[in-house]
Amino acid sequence: MADELVDRLDVAIDAVIARRDATATLRDPDLAPLVRIAADLRHYPGAEFKARLRAQLERRTTMTTAELTANVREGFATVTPYVWVPDRGLADFLIKTFDAVQTRVDEHGQHGTHRELRVGDSMLMLGEDPRSGTVPGRRMAFHVFVDDVDAVFAKALAAGGESMGDPADRPYGERSGFIKDPYGNHWYIATPLAPWSLKRALRSVTPYLHAHDVRAYMGFLARAFGAVEEELHEVSGGAIPYARSRIGDAAIEFGTHDPSPGAFFIYVSDPDAVYEQALTAGAKPLSPPADQPSGIRIGFVEDPEGTHWYIARPAPVA
Amino acid sequence: MGDVATGTDDDRALIETAQADPARFVEVYDRYVDRIYAYVSRRAGSRAAAEDITSDVFQQALAALPRFEWRGVPLAAWLYQIAANALANHWRRQGREADDPPPDLPDEREHEDLQRRVSLFQLVDRLPELQRRVIEMRFVEDRSIRDVAAALDRSEGAIKQLQLRALENLRKGMGIHG
Repeated sequence: MADELVDRLDVAIDAVIARRDATATLRDPDLAPLVRIAADLRHYPGAEFKARLRAQLERRTTMTTAELTANVREGFATVTPYVWVPDRGLADFLIKTFDAVQTRVDEHGQHGTHRELRVGDSMLMLGEDPRSGTVPGRRMAFHVFVDDVDAVFAKALAAGGESMGDPADRPYGERSGFIKDPYGNHWYIATPLAPWSLKRALRSVTPYLHAHDVRAYMGFLARAFGAVEEELHEVSGGAIPYARSRIGDAAIEFGTHDPSPGAFFIYVSDPDAVYEQALTAGAKPLSPPADQPSGIRIGFVEDPEGTHWYIARPAPVA
Repeated sequence: MGDVATGTDDDRALIETAQADPARFVEVYDRYVDRIYAYVSRRAGSRAAAEDITSDVFQQALAALPRFEWRGVPLAAWLYQIAANALANHWRRQGREADDPPPDLPDEREHEDLQRRVSLFQLVDRLPELQRRVIEMRFVEDRSIRDVAAALDRSEGAIKQLQLRALENLRKGMGIHG
């Protein structure tokens, strides 16, 4: 009988695995308890899968605690927005509107200019490339805290900005006005009205990412860069009007209004590991990490919403 | 099923340890991965989807860890909720209608079912290595007896015997009488 049981069991298991009808085998008293176990085993998580996921979680937690904050360039946050424009007009707009201070300019001839500006306690990088004027849709949005929104809003209009909403008291604890700069970037200019305003969680300038699928996007950023979810408001129907994550010491806000991809610099101590991790999380490779003449090591990826990430280890301080 | 209705002190210690040191989050993972996988697997439709969604659940849980406030709700319930949302997202991506009912959370009967599977999975992990390999290759990798026999350099008859012995061991371990 034993030999037969071996074969009967194998036939039954084939049926279970193929999800064919195995109910007949349940009438066989020798077979029935084994077939029930076999049916449960279809849901057995493989050892390899469990070990792989465990290793990913381990890598991420060690990265969030150590890697990400370990090697940020002096004066910068972990993440710095990189805005592409065709000329220096945006720098002028930022200087006139927000009293931005230019801290660095690198001229690269026909490849354009790399410019760095400080606004309050935050850094912005601008890539001025005459060719980028032909790339549609790469514009970004920012939440900017200032002392007097009405005065700054007026300066933004005078500098060539267009109103998308005049300053008004908002229910989320701030008075804010919305400006579109001459290149299409959005600036949500705000002065806190209440102690519970978002200001307490944010720097002077915080990038605001509008995504098609905010929840999926936050999941990607968590897996790719160790982003930690800080707030997530979901309304009935599943829409997410506001959410915020933090990568290292930099906050990123999320919304769903008119999604557009942007670009970011992210400073890490091991760009090769973070690059690989971003690909595992679903990013598309643009260019693997390589040493640059300036001393930085940098790799490039595109995330699922089309935003580019420049994953860099800063140049050693001389 | 005490850990289902209310959070245990163990849960609380586990979550507070992980909040203080995220590197300890793997201990949460080790305790709950089988159970969450079992919950997801019976709803996901395929092994690949079950693995993706389970991955998502623990990645999201890790991301939300700093915001988790201990209110006596068991960790398992929190993880099931994340899993239900992840399943709903998965279904949406698969083109299910948005007004389809969201995935249900386990009721008491399913809890018992899931608990039984978790015990079974743990027994599989403790099987003699060759028997465990056969189970894994058959049920996880979906390979035929012939394939398994070739991979392990044994006869098909020997693999069928190993398969029977493994299932007999699991049956005994689960306390089911044949």
